[in-house]
Amino acid sequence: MRFSGIGTRYAVWIATLALALVATALVAAGVIAFRESRLVQAEIHDAVGTARAADEEAALRGTARYLGAHLFNALYQLDVDRLNKEIEQVGAWLPVESFLVMDRSRRVLTDGTAANPRYGDTFDGELPSAAVGPRLVRNGAAAELRFVIASGGVSAGWGVVTLAEAPWQASLRRLEARTAAMWAARRASLLSLGAAAFAVTLGLGLLTALRLSRSLARPLTEMSRAAGEIAAGNLDCPLTLDSPDELGHLARALNRMAGDLRTHEEALRAERADLAAKNAELERFTYTVSHDLKSPLVTIRGFAGLAGTDLGAGNLDRVRHDLGRIVAASDKMQRLLEELLELSRIGRVVNPAEDVALGSLAREAVELVKGRLDRGRVEVEIAPDLPVVRADRHRLLEVLQNLVENAAKFTGDEPAPRIEIGARRDGGGLVFYVKDNGRGIEPRYLERVFELFEKLDPGAEGTGVGLALVRRIVEAHGGRAWAESDGPGRGSTFCFTLSSPRGA
Amino acid sequence: MLEVFAEMLARLRERLAPSGVDVGDLVIARDLDDLSQRLARGEVELVVETVFPTLVLQERSRRLDPALVVVRRGQREYRSVFFTKKDAPIHDLADLRGRTLVLQVLRSTSAFALPKAELERAGLAVVPADDPRTGRAQVRYVLALAEINQAVWVLHGRGDAGAFNEGNWAALPEKIRSQLRVFHETRPIVRGLLSFRAGLDPRVRRLAEEALQGLDDDEPGRAALARAAGVTRFEPLTARDRQDLRGWAAVLRPSRPR
Repeated sequence: MRFSGIGTRYAVWIATLALALVATALVAAGVIAFRESRLVQAEIHDAVGTARAADEEAALRGTARYLGAHLFNALYQLDVDRLNKEIEQVGAWLPVESFLVMDRSRRVLTDGTAANPRYGDTFDGELPSAAVGPRLVRNGAAAELRFVIASGGVSAGWGVVTLAEAPWQASLRRLEARTAAMWAARRASLLSLGAAAFAVTLGLGLLTALRLSRSLARPLTEMSRAAGEIAAGNLDCPLTLDSPDELGHLARALNRMAGDLRTHEEALRAERADLAAKNAELERFTYTVSHDLKSPLVTIRGFAGLAGTDLGAGNLDRVRHDLGRIVAASDKMQRLLEELLELSRIGRVVNPAEDVALGSLAREAVELVKGRLDRGRVEVEIAPDLPVVRADRHRLLEVLQNLVENAAKFTGDEPAPRIEIGARRDGGGLVFYVKDNGRGIEPRYLERVFELFEKLDPGAEGTGVGLALVRRIVEAHGGRAWAESDGPGRGSTFCFTLSSPRGA
Repeated sequence: MLEVFAEMLARLRERLAPSGVDVGDLVIARDLDDLSQRLARGEVELVVETVFPTLVLQERSRRLDPALVVVRRGQREYRSVFFTKKDAPIHDLADLRGRTLVLQVLRSTSAFALPKAELERAGLAVVPADDPRTGRAQVRYVLALAEINQAVWVLHGRGDAGAFNEGNWAALPEKIRSQLRVFHETRPIVRGLLSFRAGLDPRVRRLAEEALQGLDDDEPGRAALARAAGVTRFEPLTARDRQDLRGWAAVLRPSRPR
């Protein structure tokens, strides 16, 4: 058993308290009983002494007369054995100091002892006759009885009994001795009782104390455990303690603290993931930008060298061709840089949110790419029930324009190219989409198409920034953008959701 | 009375159980007649008694066979002493002829049966003092009920001599003993006898004898025996013991208490 535990300490204290109470009660009861018995004994002493002293002389003479008759047969028959037994019995109720039995010739027959040392001695004191009756001689507290042992007028001898003290005093002394003996016996019983009470109290006290202390210490132990769990990072072990006291308050505060910590930790985890994703994106961006910007530079450098060679050879047509390629590469590089600038602005530069009728915005977007649509004879259908959303109108127009332009770009080979702009309910929220019946996308490229400068078809027009721009704008509005396709030749659907745009 | 023998009986039962011998109950007979009848009815297999009651039972029933000596309080055997006043003209048993001998009680071995048998073996008839046949040829006896009384009666002239166990002599008050003298001692006699009912299965008897003699092998056994009226141990009867018993039995026949 460890005494460092709060439950054990409570148990020891409670058990000690119970034992102390029981021990005090037992000692108090013993002392009171002892004092009361002493008082009663003293009162008996006074009462008996007063009553008995008055008639003691008469009682002693009566006793002598009784003994004189009672011992006759034994003395007459010289039955020393029986005389000894009679003397022993007299000694049990009178304070006999000595008891002599003499025959008719005054010779001592027995003094009641086994050694019988006065056997045969002649008693030379005065002995009463049968006519006179018993003689009582007092000597302070002691007394001597001399009497004839006779029956029917026949004398067998005499008896001389010396009493050490008055019989009533002896009675009281015996009473006191019996009381003392009784007390000695009671003391042993009381001690046994005390020991039993001690053991029972110890056992029951410990049991009760353990139960009580556990109920007292349980909340603290529970809180200690919970604090340990929290410290170890386990925030999903709430305290079940529900008491209205301070411990209950403390438990609820601990639970709140654990909840707050959990929320903050989850937020931190999400932010960390977001940061990691952004880092990855930045890495990809850096790589892509450096790769894609290097491409026109390589072209420029290559044709600049060729232009020098061609100029030395005097081939001006070739020089013009080389310079033309250099100008085209420069234009491409400029476009790339402009689009990069545009991309970087999204998220940094936010226009105020406003109510935007998505149907009219879609028509506006279609109008912006009308030339391409017409060239490809692409049919566009805009759902009539598109809702009004709260968004950055200019950016949302960019989204729709890019998606329609992208769809038009990849439906040109179809005999009846078609684009559908609409919205559908999905899981309680609205999903907006731009669907085409164009060349479709392999499932493994569905995510890749949103990456910067990514073009699945290298020969296709554009810089590969459009879909990256779409995703960036949608995400800036708290939404999500993705592509769906059943595979090559089976068309594509570009979907996005909207929440409130950031900063709205 | 039964309680003091209970533990000894239990230990005997324990020792005989492995041999398949059952030990029955213990009975205390009212007197010799009762015991004799129980023997006759086959109710008793084993008897513990002093010498003279054993010999009387043997004489009456012919169904008792002494086997072991009962050693009590360390005493295997004892003798009785004849005493008289220091100045009395009595010096041997023959001097008691025509005189009065103070004995204790009829049922006493050492203070009645043994002295009486000793006198009869010496050719002296012993009769109660109030027997009308009493004459100068016989030794008269009176009963004083207690050993101390026997000594006092002799000193006070109620008898000429007394006889009891040598242990009683040693226990007399000095002032009394100093006025007396011992003038004869009997031959020693064993303290007690354990006898089997005649006809008991010899195997059972042998097993019982072995078990009884082994009771004092350990301390608990010795304690059980001590509680059984002070028994120290059981010993086999020697040839001399048997010879003495035959001698006592011979004098007992004409001298049984009347």
